[in-house]
Amino acid sequence: MDVSLSAQHIVKRYGGVVALADGNLNVASGEVVALLGANGSGKSTLSKIITGVVSPNEGSLLIDGRPTTLSSPQIAKKLGITAVYQELSLIPDMTVSENIWLTHEPLRGKSLIKNREVRARTQELLNLFSGTFKSLAPDIPVKMLPPDERQIVEILKALSTQPRLIILDEATASLDTQQVNRLFDLVADWKSRGMAIVFVSHRMEEIFRVADRATVLRSGRSVGDIPMSDATRESLVELMIEGASTPRNIAIDSVKSDAPVRLSVEKLTTSVLKNIAFELRDGELLGLGGLHGQGQSDLLLTLFGDIPHTGKIILSQKPVNFTHPRQAMDNQVAFVPGDRATEGLLLIRSILENLQLPSWANFGTPLNINRARAESQNTAQSLNVVMASLDAPVSSLSGGNAQKIVIGKWMSRNPKLLLLNDPTKGVDVGAKGEFYNLLAQLQQQGTAILFYSSDDDELLGLCNRVLVLHDGEITAELSGGDLTHANLVSASMGTQQENNV
Amino acid sequence: MINSLKALQTRLSPPLLALLLAIILYFIGGILAPGFVNVEQAINIVRLAAFLGIIAAGQTLIIISGSEGIDLSAGAVVTLGAILAFRISNGQDSMVIPGLLVALAAGASIGFSNGLGITLFGIPPLVMTLGMTGVVAGTIRAVTRGELEGGTPPIMGKLISAPLVAGLPGVIFLWLLIGFGMWLLLERTAYGKQLFAIGINRTTARLSGVRVQLVVLATYTLGGLLAALGGFILLAFSQTVFLNLGQPYLFPSIAAVVVGGTVLAGGQGSYWGTMSGALVLTLLQSLLRALQIEEALQLIVLGSTLVVLISFYGRERKLRQ
Amino acid sequence: MNQSSLQSFLRRNPYLFTLLLLVVAIFFNFQFQDNLFEANVVNRNMRVLLPTMLLTVGQAIVIIGGGIDLSVGTMVSMINAILVTRILPDSTSSEIALGFFLACGTGILAGMFNGLCVAYLRLQPVVTTYATSFVFSGIALAILPRPAGQIPRPLTDFYRNPQLGIPTAVYIIILLLIFWVLLRSTRYGQFLFATGSKANAAYTTGVPVVRIRFSTYVWSGLFAAFAAIALTLLSGSGDPRLGDDMTLPTIVAVVLGGTRLSGGQGGIAGPLMGVAILTVIGNIISFANIDSWYQDLVNALIIIIALAGPGIVRLIRRLIGR
Repeated sequence: MDVSLSAQHIVKRYGGVVALADGNLNVASGEVVALLGANGSGKSTLSKIITGVVSPNEGSLLIDGRPTTLSSPQIAKKLGITAVYQELSLIPDMTVSENIWLTHEPLRGKSLIKNREVRARTQELLNLFSGTFKSLAPDIPVKMLPPDERQIVEILKALSTQPRLIILDEATASLDTQQVNRLFDLVADWKSRGMAIVFVSHRMEEIFRVADRATVLRSGRSVGDIPMSDATRESLVELMIEGASTPRNIAIDSVKSDAPVRLSVEKLTTSVLKNIAFELRDGELLGLGGLHGQGQSDLLLTLFGDIPHTGKIILSQKPVNFTHPRQAMDNQVAFVPGDRATEGLLLIRSILENLQLPSWANFGTPLNINRARAESQNTAQSLNVVMASLDAPVSSLSGGNAQKIVIGKWMSRNPKLLLLNDPTKGVDVGAKGEFYNLLAQLQQQGTAILFYSSDDDELLGLCNRVLVLHDGEITAELSGGDLTHANLVSASMGTQQENNV
Repeated sequence: MINSLKALQTRLSPPLLALLLAIILYFIGGILAPGFVNVEQAINIVRLAAFLGIIAAGQTLIIISGSEGIDLSAGAVVTLGAILAFRISNGQDSMVIPGLLVALAAGASIGFSNGLGITLFGIPPLVMTLGMTGVVAGTIRAVTRGELEGGTPPIMGKLISAPLVAGLPGVIFLWLLIGFGMWLLLERTAYGKQLFAIGINRTTARLSGVRVQLVVLATYTLGGLLAALGGFILLAFSQTVFLNLGQPYLFPSIAAVVVGGTVLAGGQGSYWGTMSGALVLTLLQSLLRALQIEEALQLIVLGSTLVVLISFYGRERKLRQ
Repeated sequence: MNQSSLQSFLRRNPYLFTLLLLVVAIFFNFQFQDNLFEANVVNRNMRVLLPTMLLTVGQAIVIIGGGIDLSVGTMVSMINAILVTRILPDSTSSEIALGFFLACGTGILAGMFNGLCVAYLRLQPVVTTYATSFVFSGIALAILPRPAGQIPRPLTDFYRNPQLGIPTAVYIIILLLIFWVLLRSTRYGQFLFATGSKANAAYTTGVPVVRIRFSTYVWSGLFAAFAAIALTLLSGSGDPRLGDDMTLPTIVAVVLGGTRLSGGQGGIAGPLMGVAILTVIGNIISFANIDSWYQDLVNALIIIIALAGPGIVRLIRRLIGR
């Protein structure tokens, strides 16, 4: 196999926003090139352009040395370029094999699908990941699979087209350690057979493990194309953000042990959670860790009243049983979702509308808009939101500022318990720093915070106690000297915690 | 040409565009049909538009609520409201209020049933309201047994349909009042804010404390109530009832909402838009009648015009960007 | 373990509930009409069912693809008008063939118009097909202002009477089922379901989503033509409003048949049974000696209850789960 791709000076605009100002990427047979960039750097736009999903406004794309226009993903696939997304391209109602072979099913004659061959070849592909999954089988509808197995289906789907160039776009985000290891074994095999691989990711350790070169994007421009042997973590991060990287660790005062217990949970059980029990005091930042989808989001949503449960929840010394988020809110609980576009914001509405969504009932009938504006202005200012005006649509804000609005919604209500569901996912390094400062502030004011993060470093840096969830149960409670990366990882895998003497 | 049209579309809000279109239609009418442009005709058109506009008020709320919200039972509820008012008031001025109240109560119950089917049993709004139309029509037949007795109280005609102040019939003032009321409801109440929220993103709304199901239920109930109000008011104009009274208003009510810029996907829109849309549609229909175009061609023109109008505002997002 | 294999069985055969409903409905029908299973009664029922069944197949295809077609009823009216003005009592066989050909062509054209608006112009399906239904209705009225027409006896006899002892309708239904099985095992069938289930994922995968959506409306138009032909042969004459009331039953039948309105799953066996259920319910009402003024109401109520069925079941399960 022999292939080369060269994207040169790609420009892409969405309306008035310039997503890519000068995108460049070069990759050839037997290479793994990592594509790095903070949020808003244009990294996903570039990856969509080289796979034909999006068309560039300017620039050229050379495939095997020839200038090419990719007018659709189909054309790209015919040229041997396939992408693996984060389960963006799976049809939920269709089975694993239907999804893998969609658009290129083996046919008898010119039209009838050869079902037996489909099943057999699907099983062959599934065997590549054997031992790393629980539910995968050719005839299971994809919607019944957990996120990590769906990701595997995405990978196999790309593989089934026998690509010459494969783009792994944040493809490891949902995979567990075992699956990532298997994937990297496969990548090594692909390399030796002459495939070219582009690895889009923000996970430094994986990049250092698997990539040969790194291309860095910043604010829509390529700012570096470096062999991994010449790169260090710091040098790459420096390329990604302007200025020095924000220190991630914040000094946390240890929690006063006589602070009142804000939240006490006993035998909490849902369809996913099993007998969860813990306590959380005012001013404490309690972390939730573990691999994806082990019940962390479910725990937060249950506490917020969005999921039915059995067991005891005692909030502010009173037993409560919330059946709707409204009740939790009225008891001064706040919830910040990680997927702000689909769970936290009304994108086409103004900043004002978004900030006041939970609170309109407080402004009388007819609504006292002036008072609402004044309050919103205060909130936005205290959070340092960079915006044109309160009436600008929230979609006009950058990722970090939009996340501030998601939090700002709750600030004026003075929550006593703050539930955070992976809030810094997709927020760039600079905005993360501001967010950590805000958390520290809230802690000092006595807010109890329950914080789920998929980023282990974040948990280690911010929390002095972490509950690790595995399969809906708390498998470990790490604090003080026990709170190490190694312990965190092994508890996440469900193995026994090593007790340090 | 296309570019300047597009530029126009983005700079002017849909209600204004619709209003502009209405004015253009009016003058086209003047050119094509002599005698079309005069004060009396204008008042008549606004009067007819008022009836449509009031009937379309409920539809506006329901479409804003999103999730494929629509009320195909509005026509039947209009008929029901009119028939109940007709029978209860029985031509007596003193019984006007009871007649109105019964009509409103009936409309609200139908709307409430729609809401229950949609929220509690998960029946899609299209199917639920379509099915409910059959129930309402069947109820009317069962209860009246084909005999539509009653009478229209004279006061209704005087206050609503006949010229009241400066040659303008009461319905126009009523319509303006309802317009103001709808604006208050949509923009100055917590309900209105929540309605837009659920139209845009139900998950965000719920996680922000909005009781989505209750808002949906309230919206369909209100929709039924407003449709019945529309029927009551229509009675003042038609002075009699028949089984098919409200049905011809169903399609135009939806069209008026869409033309006025309320997106069918929900979460965006206004009642001013619906009012402009009602004017556009009434003008179109009046124009066609004035040109003495036969019914068959009227239908074709009406349908095609709506398709053209939706091409300007009603387009969904592209798959490829 | 037992619960999950039951669940996967139910998942792969969504129209078991429909079958149950149909059996129950037929049982009740039989209580009121004891000649239900006699040959000529069966034949009469089947020939009345067939037009709606044909129309429902087209609707099911559109719905599975993620859209909906509210103009199917008026398409039937329009094509019926064309048929009776083209096929006269003294028409030659070639004129008759031309008539049928024209009917199918009109259906396809009408479907293409809908498809153009919904798939290529990306207009919202509900309002658009509602709007085009008025256009088709107008065309029907323009061609045939008043009920008229007479279809030659040989044609209507062929349709109305059993062939080789089996109602003509049954042959057609068998053909429909074969058609569907074939469609399901082609790449086109996969594209159809993918488009209806999650269009942007399908697009990213390379499915020609726009073309598929367009094609569903063309199928709808073609099946509307078939339905119009069947209906015209059944009634033997023309009426510009003949098919107008057929739209709602096709949607209800699809829902009763276990196919989601949002698309991406289902089949035609369920919807075909749904049509049968609706007709049987109609039979029950007319034979059960219900006051004629109440019949429409009872019919409508039964439909609502049937529609609420799956929802009621889900609600009960959720309440028990808590």
